[in-house]
Amino acid sequence: MKPTSIVASIALSAFALLCSLGVALAQADCKSLVKASPFGPDDQVGATNRITPAVTKAAAAEIQTGAVVSMAYNLVDGVPLFGTRFTKTVLTAVALVPGAEFGKNKLTYMEDTYLSQSHVGTHIDGMGHIGVQDCYYNQTPMGKFVTQNGIKKLGLENLKSFATRGVILDMVKVFQDAGKLKTNPACRTPCLDGGTVITEADIQAALKMYNVTLREGDAVFLHTGWGDLFNQFPAQNANYNKAEAGLGKAAAQWLADQKVVLVGADNWAVEVIPGEDAQEAFPVHALLLTNNGIHIIENVRTDLIAAEAASSKRATFFLSMTVPKAAGTTGTFVNIEAIR
Amino acid sequence: MKRRHFLLGTLALVVSPRATSAETRRFRVAFANLNEEPGTWIEGLGFTGAEIRRSFELASRGLPLDLIYYDNAGDAEKALANAADAVSRGVDLLIEYNSDAAANAEIGRRLKTAGIPVLAISYPIPGAPLYTADHLAAGRIAGKALGQFAKENWSEQTPVAAILGDVADPSPSVTARIQGMTEGLRQELPNVSPIRLDSAGHPVRAEGVLAKFLGTQTRRKVLVATLDDASALAAKSAIETAARTSDCVIVSQGVSRSIHGGASEKKEIDPANRGSIVLGSVAYYLDRYGYEVLPIALRMLQGEQVPERTMTNHILISAKNVFVEYPPYDMN
Repeated sequence: MKPTSIVASIALSAFALLCSLGVALAQADCKSLVKASPFGPDDQVGATNRITPAVTKAAAAEIQTGAVVSMAYNLVDGVPLFGTRFTKTVLTAVALVPGAEFGKNKLTYMEDTYLSQSHVGTHIDGMGHIGVQDCYYNQTPMGKFVTQNGIKKLGLENLKSFATRGVILDMVKVFQDAGKLKTNPACRTPCLDGGTVITEADIQAALKMYNVTLREGDAVFLHTGWGDLFNQFPAQNANYNKAEAGLGKAAAQWLADQKVVLVGADNWAVEVIPGEDAQEAFPVHALLLTNNGIHIIENVRTDLIAAEAASSKRATFFLSMTVPKAAGTTGTFVNIEAIR
Repeated sequence: MKRRHFLLGTLALVVSPRATSAETRRFRVAFANLNEEPGTWIEGLGFTGAEIRRSFELASRGLPLDLIYYDNAGDAEKALANAADAVSRGVDLLIEYNSDAAANAEIGRRLKTAGIPVLAISYPIPGAPLYTADHLAAGRIAGKALGQFAKENWSEQTPVAAILGDVADPSPSVTARIQGMTEGLRQELPNVSPIRLDSAGHPVRAEGVLAKFLGTQTRRKVLVATLDDASALAAKSAIETAARTSDCVIVSQGVSRSIHGGASEKKEIDPANRGSIVLGSVAYYLDRYGYEVLPIALRMLQGEQVPERTMTNHILISAKNVFVEYPPYDMN
């Protein structure tokens, strides 16, 4: 399909969806469906409100060696994507054509065009991503704020900085130490098998392993080993997308109670798939994003920082992650680095 | 005040160990599955034994139960041997899914002697609570849905109706489904008597027999109730081939993965396919049996009374509710 056709098709689909949403989702009582923000009725910032100058300053103490560990995957053709999702760049290199150079200094240039869904690769789920009926974070009746080109509330442009302390929770080691690791044969290195529920007790064990106490404003990352399947793209894409170990609802609630600002993992949904209740859809997404404004980062590369934590016996780091001010969007691919 | 604190503290010491013990007590439960042979459909509905077993694995994650799995392989002797093994292992409870009545009677006797409670699935065991599909009710839902569609859309004429599938299967479940379909249809259209089109359980044959039937009903609207989803898809193919999509509709039984998919995996029953001639399929939730059965088992183990018979709550799954009943997770 030609790029123009793809764009037209997406626009038509989005328009059709919006039309149907307008009819179907106009009646919900958001005050009964979604919690109010603790940061006030106009809040669109969510948990990043907790990253105060004091939190950032305290997190800076984590920078001890200056070593930087990558926590993002390259966004390239063939990485696991769902269904109709796509990511493609088109290189514009007209100036490279002989005779098209600029000036006597023969300057040339190149640019790219992204033809990409935003929730691909290592990416952040914004608060416009998940709701209950048409009710989104802070009881926002989103049906009133959707347009063909984006959302008028809760877009990524509202977020504050993520300059805070990161904590890596090595769930593989926790399960190994507890003698309950059931790996998946497709993983080349140990991983928690799809459907494994990570509980509050498991998280407590991971924190205890490196003597960490969570602080308000922390960013928490789970290492489940499932990212090894992502790394084998495209061979294991189907296995990667089929299931995953991840947070159960009680564990997610416990993390929310610790007032963390984000939860990331080396899998595609952070939460356990299949879920604990076969009749619920992505309950941890709704719990974290919709009810608590806590962002979710998916497809995080955690193996390097987990190995670093294991060798240094230190699971904390300064989180370097910025989110583009892409107004009215529900998510975007991001780069993440752990600074030690 | 001090005395009160002392009394409360003493009470806590006495009570808390017992409470903790009750909370943390884990039970060993054996589940003997009907048949896990690949390709074998359970109850003729398009589900495999592996799907049923998986539902037990998933449902047990949050419960204080450690499961031991057996495959009865559709064989009475194997079922007896599995039950004997469960007894020798001293399990706390046996969940038995076995279709042989004589073997079930013997299993019931042996387990009673061993003092191990039994919970039966689909096929009764004397003295054991039963979890089962309600085939009659499921059939009625399908018949009623077809009748209502005809009344709402083809009120000026009387349609003909057919029941398509392995209609000669003498098992009580299929007999009940057919009876329910007939009753549900007649509740809405008292003058319509469905004829039975026998495919012997083969989708290709289902397509053929329906095609032949459509050839005899060229001027009539046709209501098709199928006994399973594979037959429904075959029926749809026959109707499309005969260019009869404007005067035929289908309601199926099962809601297996052959007929519903997910956000990316598109199948016949899908929110984006509301104009399908497959109006819907009646859910049996065999792929959720673990979620239905294990809580009953846990209640038995905790000494609670459970009903003698618990039945599946069947509903019609259509494009309008498929994602509510079966939330897709092939997206994020």
